[in-house]
Order: sequence, then structure tokens, then C-alpha cells
Amino acid sequence: MSMTRSWLLVTSLCMILLFTGLLLKNGVLLAVALPYLLFSLTPFWRSMEEPNLVIERRLEPQYLLSGQPCRVTLSIQNVGNNLEEVFLSDVLPAGLRVEGNSTYHGMLRAGQTETSLCVVRGVRGKYEFSGVKMLTNDLLGMCWHEKFVPSPGTLAVLPAMERLESLKISPRRTRVYTGTIRSRESGAGVEFFGTRAYVSGDPLRHLNWKAGARWDLLITNLFEQERVADVGIILDARSVVEVRANGESLFEHSIQAAASLAEYFLREGNRVGLLIYGRMVEWTFPGYGKQQRARILAALAKAELGEHAVFKELEHLPTRLFPSESQIVLVSPLLCGDVSMLRYLHALGYRVLVISPDPIAFEKRCFPQDECAALAEGIVRMERNATLSKLRRSSVNVVEWDVTIPLRIPMKQTMVGMKRWSVG
Amino acid sequence: MVRWVKRLAAVGNIIFLVALFYHHGHTGAAIIGGLLNLAWALDEWFPSQIRRFFRPWALVINPAFLAYGVLSGGPSILALLLAGSSLLAWNAGLFLERWGDAPVTIQYQYLRQIGALVALGLLAGFSAVILQGRFALLFLPVFFLMLVAGFLWLRIVSRALKDRTAG
Repeated sequence: MSMTRSWLLVTSLCMILLFTGLLLKNGVLLAVALPYLLFSLTPFWRSMEEPNLVIERRLEPQYLLSGQPCRVTLSIQNVGNNLEEVFLSDVLPAGLRVEGNSTYHGMLRAGQTETSLCVVRGVRGKYEFSGVKMLTNDLLGMCWHEKFVPSPGTLAVLPAMERLESLKISPRRTRVYTGTIRSRESGAGVEFFGTRAYVSGDPLRHLNWKAGARWDLLITNLFEQERVADVGIILDARSVVEVRANGESLFEHSIQAAASLAEYFLREGNRVGLLIYGRMVEWTFPGYGKQQRARILAALAKAELGEHAVFKELEHLPTRLFPSESQIVLVSPLLCGDVSMLRYLHALGYRVLVISPDPIAFEKRCFPQDECAALAEGIVRMERNATLSKLRRSSVNVVEWDVTIPLRIPMKQTMVGMKRWSVG
Repeated sequence: MVRWVKRLAAVGNIIFLVALFYHHGHTGAAIIGGLLNLAWALDEWFPSQIRRFFRPWALVINPAFLAYGVLSGGPSILALLLAGSSLLAWNAGLFLERWGDAPVTIQYQYLRQIGALVALGLLAGFSAVILQGRFALLFLPVFFLMLVAGFLWLRIVSRALKDRTAG
């Protein structure tokens, strides 16, 4: 229990009146000091006991998308004695926008339960609620008591996602389960794979009559099996690749791309893992389905840019985390020095797809459109084109993405280009 | 309800001050004290910063006038009434500042507490005034009481300053 400034003021006045009365031997002044004396003795007369509150926090929903509202409900129960005046203030994590009142002011009788409700919104991130700051005082405002009541809670604001369609990947190795990725093996499927001589037991509707007439043999059609595959998504979270323009971050776009890709590959039934490469290596073990989607989105929600001497270059990418000959998707604005590592990955047998948010187009918006800016853009564009062209020559598929347009457009264009190239 | 109690108490301050000083011809002090208390009664029209600054002064000024009035030979009953109404007006202002929209039950509870306290203080004061002259204030007990009071006061102030530094 602490005394308020008001109490100090009243007590000081009482003492001054008492002193003056005693010094001047004036009984009236001593008598006048008595009401002030009673006021200053109030906190000792009605001493405040230690408040005992139990506060439970409920977040609905706990996972939400950026900009969506989350209802924060605090259930406050007084398990101690009566509290004349209580002021509760929820200690909210930085970055959350509050709508409504995150405080409670009122009386709490013993056993009484009150509910406080507010709505919060936030940008992508993981927010940890710690507790509630409680201030109780008597009605006369003479003494107060401050306490922190823990009521933890975690809110994850997930990154925004874009729905991607028909993204073709062709890893060298697939898994045993049926999916949508061509496995380079004959079996049950819909895509024509080849022909062979008929053997007893082959379905008659797969007989290739034209080939049979030509070779005077029974020839049966083979179809390519479609299976699921292992996909490893690598999010580049190194501070060196970050670009900020007009208060926006290119890293946020990379996260959105990673989330969209994870959602797409999981929707197609693939086994997806996520590696965030920045301050440290944050690895989400590969898995299938909705739970894995939630795990990946939660990992992306708390992804942050970081800097570490070891992870400054992509050279220390832990390749052993990804199953051999699987598909790797790197989401990175790319640096010149990253080419060698991507070539190495390709040499190891991985199929590498790079989704590269264009940092030049992103940063260009905050520069004036003059000759100098155009010249500078031309120079860095040449350097970037050289890097991308080196990658493409090494059979690494690169999707260059101007973040002002939806990701599915450059993806579609790149996929069409890849098809033409493979046909030609 | 508390708002009206505060206004009435401030008006009471004006009446008691004017009565205390007018009787002895100190009209200047009566006018200054009256105007300050009038401002205190109507402080809801002032910005909150001015109100917050003015509130402790409203408590300090009245005892100062009161002591001056008593030492000038003003009636002790009026001085006591002024002390009671001044405390009431100040504390009601403090309550309103903290909890302006308090429910009626809380306001009742507050008024009961402050009413009992002020009534008890006034009763004690009146009793002391009635008993005035019955006890001789000897030097040694007075000196001892002053020493104890001074020690307590210094302790309180130092503790409050320590709390403030820690906070």
C-alpha cells in the first residue's frame, strides 16, 4: 500500500496547522487541525488489504489474417476482499491497434466477476499478451496499491495469401502417394507415357490399335503416374536482401509469396517443409494437410529479418534438411553471390525454382523519375539480369515478380515459357 | 450528486470566508478568497490541465485564509466550518477527477464515507474548541508533541519522496 500525493498534502497541512497552533499556543488552530488529522489517519484506520484477482484472457480467433479483428475478452474475478475502486489496464503488445476500451474502472465486491471486451487488429506477427496492470485505491483517494496480474495469451496474425493455380513442378523423385506431379514412371494416370508389347492382364481399353496394325503386334499404351512430391520452401530472411520503400517492406511480399506457395503445394497434396534463413535457421519439418498449413503459417507469422555472420551468404544452407532430388522453392530477391549455391543445389539433384520479388521495381517508386534515377536503374537492372540469366543457364527456373502485380501472373507467364522451351 | 455536493461545499467556503473576514473588516482577503472558491465551484468549465493545477491550491489556500482569520481573531466556529467544507469540496473534486461517471451506488457510498469523516472531524474540532482553556499548554509537553509531530512529518515526506523516486 502506498500513500497518494493528496494524502501527503493533507498531512502536511495538518502538521503545519498543528505546529503553528503549538508555537503560538493557539487552541483554535489546534482544533481546526483535527479534521485534517482525521483525513490523514484514514489509510491507517481502513487499511487496504492485498487485492487478489484472477484474470482469464480469451482471444477469438487466435489465428487471423492481417487487418482482421480479434476479440480480446478478459474475465476478471475478485477472489479477495471488496475493492472500492479498481482500475485495470490491459498491457497490450506493441503494434496492435485497439478498438474499444482495453481498461476497466469500477468497484469489485468479493466473489464478483466482470468482463472486459475490446477488439484488436494488427499487421503480420506474433503477439504475446503478458497481463493486466491493476491499480486499486480507496474512495477518498488517500492510498493506492499497484499490482501486475499475469494473464498470458498469444495472438498470431498470419500473412496474407494469394490463391495460385496450376503451378507445374517436376522433381526427380516423387513419393508413393497419388498426387498431381508427373513421376516419370508408367502406371495408372492420364498422361500418355509410351507403349510396350501387350502382356496378359493389361486392360483391353489401353490397346493401341494403330500401333498394333503397323507392327502386327498387340501394343498397349502406358500412362505416366501422378504422385505427390516433397517440396521445401526456403524464405530468405537475411537483412542484406531487405528493401524498404514508402514504409513498405519487400520482405512482407516474400512472406506472402511463401505462404501462397505453401498453401498451393499443400492443397495439391504434397509434403511441404519451410526453412526461414536469416538470423538463424528456423525449420518447419515437412508434413501434409491442414495442420502443416497452420504450422507453416504460424512460422511465417513470426518470421523476422535477421543478420548473422554465418548466414550472410546462402552457402551455409542446410541441404540435408531436404529429401534428395526433391523440389526446392527459394523465395528471395537474390544477391549476385547466391548463384553458386543455387547451381550447387541443382548439381545435387534438386529441382530449384526461384521466386524473386523484384527489388528494383519496388524501390523505384520512391525515387523521382529523372535521368539519374533512370541511369541508376539501368545499371542495377543489368546486374540483376546477368544474375538471373546465369541461373537460367544453369537450369534453375526463375520467376521474376514485380510485387505490384499478383504473383500468379508472372508465375503463369514463366510456366508457359518453360513449356515452350521444353517443347521446342 | 457528488458534483452538486462539491459545488455546494465550494459555495459554503465562500460564505464562511466572507463571514470570517467581513466581521473584522478584512474585505480584501474576503474578496480574494471568495473569488478563488467561486472559481473552484465552477472549475468544470476550465480545461483539465488548469483544473488539475488548481485543485491542490484550492486545498492549500483555504487553510491559509483560515489561519489568517483565526489569528486575526475570527470566530472559531466559522473557521472550523470553513475547514470542513474546504476538505469536502477538495475531496469531492478529487473523486470527480478520478471517476466522473461513477454509478449512483458508488457515489452514495463515497458520500457516506466523506460525510462521516467530515462530521467526525467537525465534532472533534468543536469539542476541542469547547474544551479550550481547560488544559494548560505547558512548554515541555508542547515541545515534546512538536518533536514527535515533526519527526512523523519528516518521515512521511521522506517516504513519499522515496516512493516517487522508485516509481
